Amino acid sequence: MEKQPILELKNIRKTFDKLVALDDVSFSLLPGEIHGLLGGNGAGKTTLMNILYGLYRKDQGEIFLNSEKIEINGPRDALKRGIGMVHQHFLQIANYTVLENIVLGTGITNRYTMQMQPEARKVEELCQRFGLPVELNAVISTLPIGTRQKVEILKALYRGVKILILDEPTTNLTPQEVDALFESLRVMVNDGLSIVFITHKLREVLSVCDRITVLREGRNITTLDRKDASEEVFVRAMVGEQMNIEKSVYFARDTKTFGEVDYTAEPLLRLTQVNLISKEGVARLKDVSLEIFHGEILGIAGVAGNGQQELAEVTAGIIPPTSGKIEQNGRDVTGVPVGERLRSGLSYIPEDRLHDGFLPKASVAHNLILGVHRQPPYSDGRFINWKTVYQNSREQIREYNIKTGGPEDPGGNLSGGNIQRVMIARAFSMNADLLVAHNPTRGLDIPSMDFVYQKLLQRKAKKQATLLISEDLDELMLLSDRIAVIYRGEILGILPREQFDKYAIGRLMSGIRSTEPATP
Amino acid sequence: MKTLGRTILPYLIAIAASFAAAGIFIAAMGFDVGRAYQTILLTSFRTPNGFIQTLLKFIPLTLQALAFTVPLTAGKFNIGGEGQMIVGGIAAAAVGITFSDLPPVILLPLVILAGVIAGAFWGLVPAWLLYRFGLNEILTTVLLNFVSFALIDLVATGPWRDTTAGHPTTIPIGQGGWLPMLVSNPPLHSGIILAVLVAAGIYVYTSRTTGGYELVATGANPRAAEVFGINVKRMFVFSLVLAGALAGLAGSIEVAGVHRRLIEGMQSNFLVLGLIIGLIARGNNLAVPFVAFFIAVLEVGASAMQRTLMIPVEMVFIVEALVLLFVLLSDVVRRR
Amino acid sequence: METLVTFLRLVLLSMVPFVLASQGTMLGGRTGIFNVAQEGIMLLGASLGFLVSYQVGNNFVGMLAAMAAGALFGLLLAYFTTTLKMNQFVIGLSLFFIGVGLSTLLPKLVIGITLSPPLIPTLPEVSIPVLSQIPLLGPILFRQNGLVYFSIFLSLVLWYFLYRTQRGLELRAVGENPMAADSLGINTVRARYWTAIAGGALIGLAGAYLPMVYTGTFTEAMTRGRGWLAIALTFFGGWSPLTILTGSLFFAGVEVLAFRAQVIGLAVPYQYLLMVPYLATILIMILTFRKARVPAFLGQNYDREKRNL
Repeated sequence: MEKQPILELKNIRKTFDKLVALDDVSFSLLPGEIHGLLGGNGAGKTTLMNILYGLYRKDQGEIFLNSEKIEINGPRDALKRGIGMVHQHFLQIANYTVLENIVLGTGITNRYTMQMQPEARKVEELCQRFGLPVELNAVISTLPIGTRQKVEILKALYRGVKILILDEPTTNLTPQEVDALFESLRVMVNDGLSIVFITHKLREVLSVCDRITVLREGRNITTLDRKDASEEVFVRAMVGEQMNIEKSVYFARDTKTFGEVDYTAEPLLRLTQVNLISKEGVARLKDVSLEIFHGEILGIAGVAGNGQQELAEVTAGIIPPTSGKIEQNGRDVTGVPVGERLRSGLSYIPEDRLHDGFLPKASVAHNLILGVHRQPPYSDGRFINWKTVYQNSREQIREYNIKTGGPEDPGGNLSGGNIQRVMIARAFSMNADLLVAHNPTRGLDIPSMDFVYQKLLQRKAKKQATLLISEDLDELMLLSDRIAVIYRGEILGILPREQFDKYAIGRLMSGIRSTEPATP
Repeated sequence: MKTLGRTILPYLIAIAASFAAAGIFIAAMGFDVGRAYQTILLTSFRTPNGFIQTLLKFIPLTLQALAFTVPLTAGKFNIGGEGQMIVGGIAAAAVGITFSDLPPVILLPLVILAGVIAGAFWGLVPAWLLYRFGLNEILTTVLLNFVSFALIDLVATGPWRDTTAGHPTTIPIGQGGWLPMLVSNPPLHSGIILAVLVAAGIYVYTSRTTGGYELVATGANPRAAEVFGINVKRMFVFSLVLAGALAGLAGSIEVAGVHRRLIEGMQSNFLVLGLIIGLIARGNNLAVPFVAFFIAVLEVGASAMQRTLMIPVEMVFIVEALVLLFVLLSDVVRRR
Repeated sequence: METLVTFLRLVLLSMVPFVLASQGTMLGGRTGIFNVAQEGIMLLGASLGFLVSYQVGNNFVGMLAAMAAGALFGLLLAYFTTTLKMNQFVIGLSLFFIGVGLSTLLPKLVIGITLSPPLIPTLPEVSIPVLSQIPLLGPILFRQNGLVYFSIFLSLVLWYFLYRTQRGLELRAVGENPMAADSLGINTVRARYWTAIAGGALIGLAGAYLPMVYTGTFTEAMTRGRGWLAIALTFFGGWSPLTILTGSLFFAGVEVLAFRAQVIGLAVPYQYLLMVPYLATILIMILTFRKARVPAFLGQNYDREKRNL
């Protein structure tokens, strides 16, 4: 029996200034289905759903809910109509409790005394029903990411939504947590919800979705039932003709051709018993010992928030370790500040590109020389050779495909993906011995991700070393020679390529120590 | 040349708009708008004296504006130019009076330098408070302004007081401390050369040196600057100390060039005008001297206007504030 | 004892401009608007309040005029920052200039330039029956002008509103994370506007208090930096109504002490005493800098359509 769609978006068009984010995109959702919205970064998936949720205004197009045409002018309207959204970056008030975050914006029974027992009861009930246990009086900022995500989902369920949109919900989950999430989704669907599942990960969408819509560059490519199409069809839909899939790294099956590493030679980087204790007295890195060899890509796997940021910053010299030693090419560089490290064989791609790596109020040229502005060819130490800077910037803009008006364009004009390209251009252009890269492909579409992978592999050929910290396990398993798993600041295990196993790594990511001794 | 035209156009429109808006107000108050604007704009150019007066105002205005724009580049707001200028003046006068017998070749540099160092110190205090305790510099610089008011009163009514003057003033500094005159009638002192050189130097510094780059990067995103090796805290301190030095220099120049003594109230309204100039110039150190000159013209015109037409000088201040507002708005319009 | 009672009475009298201006700053700050125009708004409030009161013959009307002017400035601040997305400090400074300029312009236009400015009657004391008879506490707490009572009442109401009502929870969320608040259907724009307007009105009222209680007339720069001090006070009061109230008492205490010391004629030159309130403020800021709990999005503007970077 043909079911009527519960939701239809027709011919949606959205532009941001001159950029066309969505061009005549349509989408429909059947009641009780889990519908995957698949595409690379920048394809328009989040934009489309943000329009549905009322955070963006559409330029053209119509929205139909239960065959009735509706207008959504803000999240308030969306929520009233039973549409809820769980965003990729949680929208929570850090210093409020879980309960306060969940009920915020709804009508509270005792609104002039804020005694919230009735609300608490309602939430407890939801926790039970959907298998999402949370501590109601805990302050949100103290909770781990997995729990915070449960709170985000509860926010929507509390409001009795009938349509739930999840934007890249598995980014920060271990493989086991991902399975648990999919279980919860099935429970919700059985309870009468319809779900839109936004992701760029093909394998996830194949395992949990009923139908899949692929978007690319703001356009519909295809909508298929999962059982009607193979993985190849979806891959081709996601990247189109832009990429040579067979020759790409992203879709590579045979990984032996990436190059061997000589583990008998002296390592390029060595961390010995590195400890980091934060200002508040919390141990963020515990006795971390790692070696990275010439021509190696050492992957660091882990759920976000387990010390990756600290590991990156200590290795790069941004924060000195509390104790322990860091050696690069045999030289003791413990405590050497990052400015000097950047001048002697180090490049860094920070995870939070906007806060930690980019100058929106300065020009693109300014951004491209950040960190290397004191060294040749850009400077003699005192004066900056702007002519060379602009020349090199133009080359980098071309090579790394940075969409911008030119080196003098203000940084603030760049989109997220292009900011990431600036980060990458800056990091790769100096050809440093050691690259510390934290989530380097975040926000990039698939062809760009492939480009970065190619560049990373080129480093291997040049016998340069890379510390690749990533929350994308697929990426790590594709590129790394070895993977070290970090959990609560400790390296719980290091696996060589032959032993890569998703669930084994997942166990380590959850803190379950391996019974076998860690192999070097 | 075309881009120059395009950058100036919004300013011209802003000026026209603010003059129009204020003009309506002036007319409503029953004054002759045409004569008012004539006086405001042309007084500087009608007589040699008018022009010299304009240049004399131009000096402290430019320095105060730079004292605001330099830290602004690093993202910090120095509202303490007043206090920094006052202590600069106090130090200059103190040296000039104490060592009044020294010959010019020694005394003059000492007087100027004393003001620069004192101003730098007055900028160092909020800088250190920011560095060590993270205290907001808007507040600390303003608070120190008030402290400096008390200080100048102390000095101007203390042992150096000129008892013949009706208003708190000190005795004159030694002749060796006087800035040589370029033109004697009307009086234009050589401080103008100093001011122009300093302004040029600041511009070269911020636009061409690595230090200047780091200042810009710090202001654009201090966290990112820090992650990539720039000592951001040191940049903050440096920019505030340099700013203090600039305002202190303004103080010494006023003492050594214009008054030859320390007069309470010498800081005039240079701070507020300096802030306005810095904001109109949108932090661009090359534009600052030009905007400063324009404001100097308006100020000279304003006093003439109050004298001859009885229109309060505050009217011109409102015009200046409106120019600022319209310039800021033009930014918004351009974005769309 | 006599002097202690007089001293405390004076402190309560003097805390009012601080309380009003700081609570006004706090209110806007709770939705993320960092007002730095207080000094200008207070001066304008003082000037306008005095002029209107003088023309109309009624202090209360003067207060309303001052509040209206403050509210207007708050509206402009909200408009330029929230709707036009301009930099809050730059707009705040610009409004400060305009406020200062208008405050000296208006008397010149209305009264003209004169050596003996006219006076308005100062606010009368209002004795609360029975309570004002209590020895010691009576005269201190219950025999003050109406605005003293208002300030205390206002602080209590604001505290209750922010921390014990649903709307208060929503309001604070706007300053902590406007994206989150917006995504839950809370009208962040409306919140910013009304807090900026109400805050501005309070700051204007704080200014009007000065001629109406202290001198009976308007003099240039009569705020003597109280607008800036109010910002410091809001910070070290942790952006919270009750701590701001106690902080204001403290500030007022320092101010009164310094003034007293001048009058008594200590051996110290009076200029040093003039410096005391400002240096004391710096000292307090140093001592409390660690504890300051600032709304996370203070000073930043929120644009719903900004591409998620």
